[in-house]
Amino acid sequence: MQRLHARYPFLSAAREAVQSADVDLVALVREGGPAVERGVERVRRALLEGTAESEERYGARAELLSYPVARVLVSLLDAPGATEKYARAEAALAQRRFVADFAEERSLRSGGETLSLGDLLADFGLSGDVRPTGDGQFDVAVAAYLRLSSGLDGEDWRLVRRRLHDGVVPVDNAELETLLREAVRERVAEGLPLTVPDPIAEGLSEAVGQLRTAVADADPPRSFTGRMEPGSLPPCMHALLDRSRDGEDLPEHSRFALVGFLATFDDLDAHDIAAIAGLDDPERVRYQLQRLRDDRGVAFAPPSCATMQAYGDCVNQDDLCAEIAHPLSYYERRAGEPSGAEEDATAD
Amino acid sequence: MNERTREYLRGRFGDHYRQVSIEPPPRANEREWGYIPFSEGGTRMVRHRAWIDLVGGADDLADALADDSVRPQHVYYSAGSYDDPGANSMGRKGWRGSDLVFDLDADHLPGVDPEAATYAEMLATCKEALLRLLDILAGDFGFTDTDVVFSGGRGYHVHVRRADVQSLDRSARGEIATYVRGSEVEFEDLVRTEAVGGAAGRTSPAEKRTLPPEGGWSGRLHERLEAFVDELVAMDEDAALERLRAFDNVGEKKAAGALRAMRENREAIAAGNVDVHPAFLSVTRTLLTEALAEAGAPIDEPVTTDINRLIRLPGSLHGGSGLAVTPLDRDELADFDPLDDAVPDTFRHNDIAVEVTEPGVVELLGDTFSMEAGEHRVTEARGVFLMTRGRAEKAPE
Repeated sequence: MQRLHARYPFLSAAREAVQSADVDLVALVREGGPAVERGVERVRRALLEGTAESEERYGARAELLSYPVARVLVSLLDAPGATEKYARAEAALAQRRFVADFAEERSLRSGGETLSLGDLLADFGLSGDVRPTGDGQFDVAVAAYLRLSSGLDGEDWRLVRRRLHDGVVPVDNAELETLLREAVRERVAEGLPLTVPDPIAEGLSEAVGQLRTAVADADPPRSFTGRMEPGSLPPCMHALLDRSRDGEDLPEHSRFALVGFLATFDDLDAHDIAAIAGLDDPERVRYQLQRLRDDRGVAFAPPSCATMQAYGDCVNQDDLCAEIAHPLSYYERRAGEPSGAEEDATAD
Repeated sequence: MNERTREYLRGRFGDHYRQVSIEPPPRANEREWGYIPFSEGGTRMVRHRAWIDLVGGADDLADALADDSVRPQHVYYSAGSYDDPGANSMGRKGWRGSDLVFDLDADHLPGVDPEAATYAEMLATCKEALLRLLDILAGDFGFTDTDVVFSGGRGYHVHVRRADVQSLDRSARGEIATYVRGSEVEFEDLVRTEAVGGAAGRTSPAEKRTLPPEGGWSGRLHERLEAFVDELVAMDEDAALERLRAFDNVGEKKAAGALRAMRENREAIAAGNVDVHPAFLSVTRTLLTEALAEAGAPIDEPVTTDINRLIRLPGSLHGGSGLAVTPLDRDELADFDPLDDAVPDTFRHNDIAVEVTEPGVVELLGDTFSMEAGEHRVTEARGVFLMTRGRAEKAPE
């Protein structure tokens, strides 16, 4: 089994490698071992931290086999939004890897263990659809472009804004990588959730139980009733609020995090949130609010601590931060604490 | 429509189908088929038919339509292909893919008042829109191999059947429809804004707006803008200023500023810079917003986005006009006159008696007639046209 298959387990070649290795999946899951451990990690980290990357080193075989195991696990988990989130995390991991590989390929230091752009395109049947035009620019066939960009947010992906000509959409290198990530996401999500045969489901019941507990622990509250208590806000939200009130135009992800957090307070409407955060465009807030409040599932939850860290928005951590995985859990814990005699006195 | 008229049309449509041959669309056996029979009430659609249900053992699709059990008023097939096209619900059909279909209908054309315009005028406006549509499909999308069909009614259909469009979902088709229509595109969507000079953000108000030349709507509009600037620069001063003042909110001072900016910044404008002068930017915005509405093709969006749409069968008769749904080669298009060329041969040779119930103008076969109420003998095609439109009944011969 090649290292390449282990790093890109969704490739057709990797799937063939699994098939030709003639692994008995029932026996594999019954016995446990590194492939199952890594499969559990894939799903756990995907759902809680948005990445399928490992924190430990596994051998190529475990890494490769853990992918079909993870697909089975996420299917058995049967949680709202789980398969989508899992597919996004696998795709994000793949993107990190192929971006590094492409860079290595370009520098001609590749020793055959890296994935070239050509290989990736070929595996996805996109060879005829993507053509380099020099200077890090590519022409993507319009049908392929539409298919791959359909899940992407952002006005810049809209066809009317693209310089479509002769059946191709010009994109730059970073955009192409995003489109390829979407191709991976689509492939990972294909067929999920799987119908899992009983013997395999039984073999994985313990692992599924662990995952359920882990997900439940990290499942932050989705809404708060009653007044927002500024004193209970986590340090990251304090920091974002301060920046926003000082007139800074927050980057998109930070703004999303802040508005998403405030949106969990049922009493606050778009105008309140705009006023609290010093935002001068309540209409935009209202739009985001609609999306958030329409879907209190996993998909539009405000970012977790891991995501806040990834964006550099996790600042001034205190002791409570070490115990929680989500800014909303921080607020829940802090707001739930008795806050002194004054409140006790008015309790009756 | 009374019984005598219905039976007459049913019989004559049958005669027509006996005389012609109809080439089915590709993958006919993967498509859903449907038709509306000539029956009282008239709009009950028989659908969810598989090819075999409709055609059975007939040698030709037209023979099947001529059969007494069918003889339809209208015939449709699906843009979609299915595992089981005859299944009774969409969910059970098993979707495989769909042709990409565009529908231009005179009823939906901006600037056409269906009450005021004649049928021929509406169709002519529709053909102009069709040529713009084909231009956008070929030039921008690279869809050069298209099937163009006169719908037999008020417009044209364009079918794109290439393999790579088959799997496009509703939202992808919606993106294509929005692109083709142009009218919902905003000038601001096409302009790239970048901060220039000094620190970005609130402290520096300097922004540069560009309309990227070449490609897409921005390229198409940039061409328009270039032509406009060329035209103005070539005019004498007074005429150019007057032209500019015709724009909303452009007074004498703004016009002079805009004109000077055009003269002094030809190269920057050619490179896409539209921020050479505030008045120039506002003139550009107005000019191009109008161009966006006129340069697109006002297709009926739901037809394009509906992957399960039923479409009129090319070669069949339109039951609301008696005209043939006519496939057209690209080089026939310019000279095609739907009100003559789409008249089926079957209805050209005899005169028949009709009782006109709704008097008015009839434009057909190159002539315009004003028909009074009452009994007339007319060329069969005109009689069929009036009867199918509900303006006449069959009179005894």
